[in-house]
Amino acid sequence: MDRPAGGGDAIPGTSDPVTRLCLDVFAEAASTPPPGALARLLSAARSARPPASAAGFAAPFAARVAAMDALLASAMPADWGQKIVEGWTLQELVAHLAATDGLVAHAIGVPLAGPPLAADEVLSRTADMIAYTGGRTPEETRAEWRAQAEAICARAAAMEPGTPIAPGGTRFPVSDHLLARMLETWIHTKDAAAVIGLPLPLPLAAHVHPTADFCARLIPWTMLLSGVDGGERSVRLTLTGPGGGAWHVPLSVAQVAAPDDGAPSDAQITCDVVEFCFLLGGRGTPEAFAARLEGDEGLAREVLRCAPALSGP
Amino acid sequence: MEAPGTDDRLLHQRVVGGDESALGEVHHRHYPLVLGLALRVTRDRVVAEDIVQEVFVTFWERPLAFDPDRGSLRSWLATIAHRRAVDHVRTEHRHRVSALGPRLADPEPSPLEDWVLAADEAARVREAVSRLPGGLREPIELAYYRGRTYRQTAEDLGLPEGTVKSRIRLGLRRLADELAEEEV
Repeated sequence: MDRPAGGGDAIPGTSDPVTRLCLDVFAEAASTPPPGALARLLSAARSARPPASAAGFAAPFAARVAAMDALLASAMPADWGQKIVEGWTLQELVAHLAATDGLVAHAIGVPLAGPPLAADEVLSRTADMIAYTGGRTPEETRAEWRAQAEAICARAAAMEPGTPIAPGGTRFPVSDHLLARMLETWIHTKDAAAVIGLPLPLPLAAHVHPTADFCARLIPWTMLLSGVDGGERSVRLTLTGPGGGAWHVPLSVAQVAAPDDGAPSDAQITCDVVEFCFLLGGRGTPEAFAARLEGDEGLAREVLRCAPALSGP
Repeated sequence: MEAPGTDDRLLHQRVVGGDESALGEVHHRHYPLVLGLALRVTRDRVVAEDIVQEVFVTFWERPLAFDPDRGSLRSWLATIAHRRAVDHVRTEHRHRVSALGPRLADPEPSPLEDWVLAADEAARVREAVSRLPGGLREPIELAYYRGRTYRQTAEDLGLPEGTVKSRIRLGLRRLADELAEEEV
């Protein structure tokens, strides 16, 4: 490392060597926090922004909820009225998240944010929640969304991950529904961060990985929904970057994608793990998608073309 | 001194994701720096401890205000701490101005934009450096006053790089003790 030894670090207004020296002196000082300082800090921190409490399979969703909440904590009053996506303002986007989370809440017996559920369906529930938030402040909308999400995590964490639930009529394990919520919350947080102009760090690799695994398992369904018959063919999907991995993906819904074990495949797709999850989530276009395709390239392109089929608003 | 940026990045990802233990780690790692800065500006331990808490709560509540692409967490916390401490002193100053009348109050602290140590502070630090034994003083003078890297400093002094690093560290610690004693 060849930067200046005397803390070559850019602190505004501290180009002065003696000031830099002084900062390093502070950092070297043998002062440790007084007893109770950390407990006092954590208690103040908790009331400023609640921590993500869920462990296990609910953790990736809980962390994305905390990240969205962090973004909302930085939102200025004018940001709440900004159009983010689908013609929704930031406040309406939070209402949409609360609406979709609400279907999961309903399916596992968690009290709903907002008005009673009229129909177990995303679009109508979103419309109801947006109408409801018309009479609420942004902070109220934020607090209700967050409280419902926390309650979902707490309730789900006490369930067996494989327990099937069917929010909105879509039946699969509760753990996968939480990964779907993770992906949607992540994508909408990224949408909002882009409009407001805030940098959003990636989720932890340990949270990206199960989400990518979920997306890999969705591939045959995206093809089925697009009217493409994958037949007995399969692809090897290699996702690069933190949280990535390699999967053997049979293209028939009768089989399930699994970590790659070297089994022969008809086509091979290599791409960035985050971009792949976002493609499934309806961000980016299959035509412009950066991926290395090998083997049956036509098949590989077909897989990418179908990938966004399950993404909703 | 500073660990490379990957550490900051991971801690930041964890804090954004609501992981309290990451806040604990940030606190543990940067408490001395933040407290030292707050003390130096406010000269009041109780007030400084409050500012320390405020700085870490700010980071926890609005972690997206920190961008690891634009600098280290250490710099960012130092900047916030300094701003808060200066704000505090300014508020106090205004109270004193209204209580005592303008002439009896101290001059205002300099604003953040041209933040360097006040001249008397800088003189105290230089003075303390000059009292260090030569073996500790020389590497600090080269590294800080002359902007030399560890390797260059080691070459200048004809010492192994590891020795230079540990002497600088020892020197910083000695300075910390000296300056703390003067404070009391």
